[in-house]
Amino acid sequence: MRIILALIKKEFYQVFRDRNMLRLIFLLPMIQLIVLGYAINVDVKNIHTAVYDFDNSTLSREYVKSLSAGDYFDIEYSEIPLLDINSGFKSGQYDAALIIPSGFSSDITLRKPITAGFVVDAANANSAAIAMAYAGQITAQFNNRQTKAGVPIELRQKRLYNPEAESVYFMVPGIVAVLVTMITVMLTSMAIVRERETGTLEQLMVTPIKTPAFIFGKTIPFAILGYVEMSMALAFGILWFNIPFAGSWVLLYGLAFVFLFTTLGVGMFISTITATQQQAMFFAWFFSVFAIMTSGFFTPISNMPDFVQYITYLNPLRYFMAIVRGIMMKGAGVAELYREIFAMITFSAIIFTLSWMRFSKRIE
Amino acid sequence: MNAAVVVNNLTKKFGDFTAVDSISLKVETGEIFGFLGANGAGKTTAIRMLCGLLLPTSGDGIVAGHDIIKENEKIKSSIGYMSQKFSLYPDLTGKENLVFYGSLYGLFGDRLKVRIESVSELLSLGEFIDRPAGSLPVGWRQRLALGAAILHEPKILFLDEPTGGVDPVFRRRFWETLYKLADKGTTLFVTTHYMDEAEFCRRISIMHRGRIIELGTPGDIIKKYNQPNLQETFISLILASDNNG
Amino acid sequence: MGKIVTIAVKEVRHILRDRRSLFIALMMPVLMTLLYGYAVNLDINNIKLAVLDYDNSSESRELINRFYHSGYFIQSQSRPELSDPEKVLKLTDAIAVMIIRPGFSKAVIDRSEFQVGMLIDGADANMSSAASSYSAVIFNQFLISQMPPETVIPGVTLSLQVLYNPDLKSSHFFVPGLVAVILMMISALLTSITIAREKETGTMEQLLTSPVTPRQIIMGKVIPYIGLAILDGVFVYVFAVWHFGVPMIGSAVLLLIIGVIYIIASLSLGVLISTLVNTQQLAMMAALTATMLPSVMLSGFIFEIKNMPAVLQVITHAIPARYFIQVIRGIMLKGAGLEVLWPQAVALMIITLILLGLAAKKFKIKIG
Repeated sequence: MRIILALIKKEFYQVFRDRNMLRLIFLLPMIQLIVLGYAINVDVKNIHTAVYDFDNSTLSREYVKSLSAGDYFDIEYSEIPLLDINSGFKSGQYDAALIIPSGFSSDITLRKPITAGFVVDAANANSAAIAMAYAGQITAQFNNRQTKAGVPIELRQKRLYNPEAESVYFMVPGIVAVLVTMITVMLTSMAIVRERETGTLEQLMVTPIKTPAFIFGKTIPFAILGYVEMSMALAFGILWFNIPFAGSWVLLYGLAFVFLFTTLGVGMFISTITATQQQAMFFAWFFSVFAIMTSGFFTPISNMPDFVQYITYLNPLRYFMAIVRGIMMKGAGVAELYREIFAMITFSAIIFTLSWMRFSKRIE
Repeated sequence: MNAAVVVNNLTKKFGDFTAVDSISLKVETGEIFGFLGANGAGKTTAIRMLCGLLLPTSGDGIVAGHDIIKENEKIKSSIGYMSQKFSLYPDLTGKENLVFYGSLYGLFGDRLKVRIESVSELLSLGEFIDRPAGSLPVGWRQRLALGAAILHEPKILFLDEPTGGVDPVFRRRFWETLYKLADKGTTLFVTTHYMDEAEFCRRISIMHRGRIIELGTPGDIIKKYNQPNLQETFISLILASDNNG
Repeated sequence: MGKIVTIAVKEVRHILRDRRSLFIALMMPVLMTLLYGYAVNLDINNIKLAVLDYDNSSESRELINRFYHSGYFIQSQSRPELSDPEKVLKLTDAIAVMIIRPGFSKAVIDRSEFQVGMLIDGADANMSSAASSYSAVIFNQFLISQMPPETVIPGVTLSLQVLYNPDLKSSHFFVPGLVAVILMMISALLTSITIAREKETGTMEQLLTSPVTPRQIIMGKVIPYIGLAILDGVFVYVFAVWHFGVPMIGSAVLLLIIGVIYIIASLSLGVLISTLVNTQQLAMMAALTATMLPSVMLSGFIFEIKNMPAVLQVITHAIPARYFIQVIRGIMLKGAGLEVLWPQAVALMIITLILLGLAAKKFKIKIG
């Protein structure tokens, strides 16, 4: 035990002596959090829409107005001639164009079918699809108002957990999970490889230190750092972004502990297959990118193609992501999360044991 | 007297390359044993096997009463190891390094304090002990590394080219320290390229291409080959061996 | 020149000898392309919907059918024993639950007032917004279909025209942007690390004592990475076009020219970082913060710049990847030429000149 403490103390000396490193370890995640908190916004809104109203009647203006209500569409009566609208799309000035033919208002009054044109720049497929859905929805509502004889049956929708549909409430818990992964995997793998590179690992190997003592002494400091990072990110998210925290802190920290075994295990494993810090960094990064992308952090897993969905089951971050979000946003407990918890524990046990086995006190 | 190190037909292969080719030797307790050889002769590999860092391909050996294959972890408490590469943490101070390594050998509290004081007195570390190890001049680094290796009073001390890059005065003082340790009963197993240092050893072995080609006291070996000194003996032995092989 | 070549050759040897790093440098683009091409799919479909149908009439079944055949909703795990919609959301994988109480079919026929309930898991804001508007549209269509023909008023039909990416494939959007990210990664990250490594191991001292100027050293070290960057860029490009079927409508020559400007900007950034740090670890962390993070997050690569807060939008103007991503998307997807893309090209050029100037001015290799 005291030997482990000595190792931990040494590791912290090293971290805290390097001011630059220290700054990066603590500042980098905070910058990441702020930037991501604000930048990650997949809500589709402010769709820049050029309007060509060839009818210019009260009704056509009302139709345009109904489109501009809400912050989905940014309406602009365009100065570019309709024939040149493509240049407006190419330069990115417009995302969509709405064309109202003349006769719009008279046809509605005469109850004749009318067609309005809606052109979308679909380079960004997602925004385009959603813009079309919005436009369709607004048009349907407009029609209902005009027909008066609308059916009094309504679909009453209610959103749970995040009624204002704030992206940041969803992303910040995700960032917490991502930070814990990146920091612990990278720092652990690089710290062990650095000792190998500088020769101190050999010096450690000739001491009578036991393998478990070495492994825990080498990983516990980074587990602590992981916890600190996580707490800072949580505090920041709650105080700055006003993220609600619905669930149990104890459960979150307890499960984070389980998850740390996975990331520390991966870090150790990387250190056994790499010879230089540069390689360790690359592998750690490689792993992190892969884990983040297939965790459902950016995009729902249900959207991914089937074979990618199967791959995500092998990603421990997937489970931790669901756990963090479930606990924070939905107040989920063990009853709701038992599948994820079970999967994560299994992974942690397997990965940590494997890297333990690979880790030998002899050098080859 | 019990032998501190006994080795029989020790061999280490890396793929097709045989780094250590069936060496056998015996080092008595309290002896200063010089492990000589040209660069790449296999000295470091041999020492690593004796310290339990590398598993031999074949052969066996006993170090400090423990089997180097089955009991390699037990060996480690009884030995000190100073590698040719400076292997202390450059960003920690000398004292922090000593405290750290002392703890790994199970030294804590007052006992550790006493040991650090006595080591730093023996090596005259003085105020250098509070500076980051990486900023020390080479000679002081070497002493510090020796300090870290002897904190736990090992029975056997393995020194792999301990005085590389050190000036003659420092080297002389370093060897005086080694003699003090030997007087207290520590067995010293030293590799070196300096023939004047080799003459300080009670017995030496000369290794070439993974094999031990000569073993004995420096005086006997010089006499056997009828050379003026150890330096000439060494050179002629290596050259002769190259010509024959 | 000869000296630069000598150093470049040495650098190429380093790159080729370090198999593991090379493996990553070449595998990274492939992995990222696959991930972004397949995994990053912001289109919301396959929304898992559970229905609690207590009416169980032909009308209710017709409504449910319309949801499941819309292409947006799929069936969630079936747990018939759960009757509380909130429990359904919590304990199954459903994102939305629709509750049809008894009396629905009667209301449809009588055209009397009635409410169908829908509970949506709002955690993922994007997903819940999509679920909400899609379901409103589907519901509305259902109502219209149930009206007697004579009461149906044609009203406004939207004729939709989809430009540039008619199949609405996310990969067409993300994969070209990836070229910008990869180029930044190879150019800035690898160069800053390789220079830091020479400082760390002391070989930089050796180089500096030889009659080579610091500028020659930098040129020699940087050139192989330009090669590697271009190789990776082409890799992703070919992958994008062949595997993901991303169209290439515009001019490849124009893309290559602006691409080289962008690479120079990235390399200058990498060199700039390397003048400020002495260890590989620091170089890596600094490069990640200064290059990778903004290039992925603030460039419009995934997240639209116009939806960011004003402060961040201003910051994005300083990020080279922002312009290059607009350029590559414009050229590949829309066939845009310089007549439209000149502002981006000019901005990129200005940034490149500033970075290059800074790097050249700051560049004095010190041994720290």
